Amino acid sequence: MSKILIGRYVPGNSLVYKMDPRGKLLVTILFIFIIFLANNWVTYAIITIFSFLAVAATKLKAKVFWDGVKPLIWLILFTSVLQLFFTTGGQIYWNWIIFTISSYGITNAIYIFIRFTLIILISTVMTVTTMPLEIADAMEWILTPLKYVKVPIDKIALVMSIALRFVPTLFDETLKIMNAQRSRGADFNNGGLIKRAKAITPLLVPLFINSLETAVDLSTAMESRGYRDGANRTRYRILKWSKYDLYELAYFIILVLLLLVFRTK
Amino acid sequence: MAKDSIIKIRNVSFTYPDTTSPAINNISFDIKRGSWTSIIGHNGSGKSTIIRLINGLLVPDNKNSPYIEVDGTELTDKTVWNIRDKVGIVFQNPDNQFVGATVADDVAFGLENRGVPRSKMLKIVPEAIKAVGMDDYTNAEPSNLSGGQKQRVAIAGILAIQPKIIILDEATSMLDPSGRSKILQIVHQMKKKDNLTVVSITHDIDEANLADQIIVMNNGGLVDQGNTKEIFSKVKLLKSLGLDVPFASQVKEKLLQSGISIPKEINSEKELINYLCQSNSKK
Repeated sequence: MSKILIGRYVPGNSLVYKMDPRGKLLVTILFIFIIFLANNWVTYAIITIFSFLAVAATKLKAKVFWDGVKPLIWLILFTSVLQLFFTTGGQIYWNWIIFTISSYGITNAIYIFIRFTLIILISTVMTVTTMPLEIADAMEWILTPLKYVKVPIDKIALVMSIALRFVPTLFDETLKIMNAQRSRGADFNNGGLIKRAKAITPLLVPLFINSLETAVDLSTAMESRGYRDGANRTRYRILKWSKYDLYELAYFIILVLLLLVFRTK
Repeated sequence: MAKDSIIKIRNVSFTYPDTTSPAINNISFDIKRGSWTSIIGHNGSGKSTIIRLINGLLVPDNKNSPYIEVDGTELTDKTVWNIRDKVGIVFQNPDNQFVGATVADDVAFGLENRGVPRSKMLKIVPEAIKAVGMDDYTNAEPSNLSGGQKQRVAIAGILAIQPKIIILDEATSMLDPSGRSKILQIVHQMKKKDNLTVVSITHDIDEANLADQIIVMNNGGLVDQGNTKEIFSKVKLLKSLGLDVPFASQVKEKLLQSGISIPKEINSEKELINYLCQSNSKK
């Protein structure tokens, strides 16, 4: 079970792993926007090739990425099929009441399919190669400008790192409580919707109380270790840009330039 | 005695909100610099509350003019942070005091709070981790560590801030026997090396046996105070408070009951073995 909890991070040692999480997070977010620059076959080919380059650079097995796409495959297919049947224009091949299959519809469906898959692929590249902790650090860095509008970034960062640190602990706790309740006859896997929802009560109540107790203990420990509100804290863990991040920058700039050159006006 | 006491507590009472009877009832005691003190008592006798009063997590009731002094500084609103710098506490549950996402982060937490520059932390943190023998786990996450290892990390976090006093608040009660002895061994070494004062709250009689001084508590009051030998020879008193006695005292008690006379001054396991061997060879 503990495989699920560490995000979907897969340890490795390739090029992508050495990049700074801030860069990876930014590029991933920007990728979602620039994918809309593609509007013809050439640009879609370019962005597909670039995505697979990124996937290849992780040196991970294809199965990891398939696992990323799999849960969303029905959504992707559904959207593509809708595009296929409801887009009109160009040459019309087939028509039945409101359903039409046209040349535009076919290309649109394929475009949407590619667009969806690539966005998922690229976000998977980030999540499998970056530890949740690093992602939290990167998010903190991206949020830093909000300091100027008085958003307490330090506290948010601490909250994020504590939340991440307690995900595996609470998960273990949940399993323990489930097993304890099972040994007293609780049944979590059978029955209808209402019966199952009721079965969750003996799991949720102790879990909730445990979390509150943990929070009290943790805050006592933090305070006695000298944590105080608003004091000037220093940081042990910092992120460093390296030469690997230049590759990433180059990758992104070349991709954007190619897309701008080849897209139809 | 005043000068070499590192902790002085005078007339301290404490009542938790929403309760009528005080958790701590007018307690006074001293703890000597460089000593190892154990506080024993059954559940709910107020042991943990005492600790939280010492580093200002709780504030004593305002009656009988309470006074708490740590290392020459009186505990007030202004000095509470200075006092927390001098006192390091290892709590009971190893899971609930691990703040950082990795071992190194957790050890650095106390230093971060004190605004220690990063260049210094890079030196202190590995040293502290090494001192507790966790150097192979520097980047490990807490969910991959055993309870004993987490407590060792907690001790490293305390080592990093170089306190004068270490308090073990039932720190070994959730550990297996090997984890427990390892922790006690590390604390013992640290105490020797830096001349630290150790206060341990414990149910474990073997751990209490390591101490120079024992404080016995019952229902928020101080019942007895003395060195290990004195306290553990009072088998009846301890049993009436629902406490255990060391194995040697138990054997002695049983021997006395079955009519074998053993001198009063014999209390430790070694003395008892020697005495029994001698009296046996005389026959």
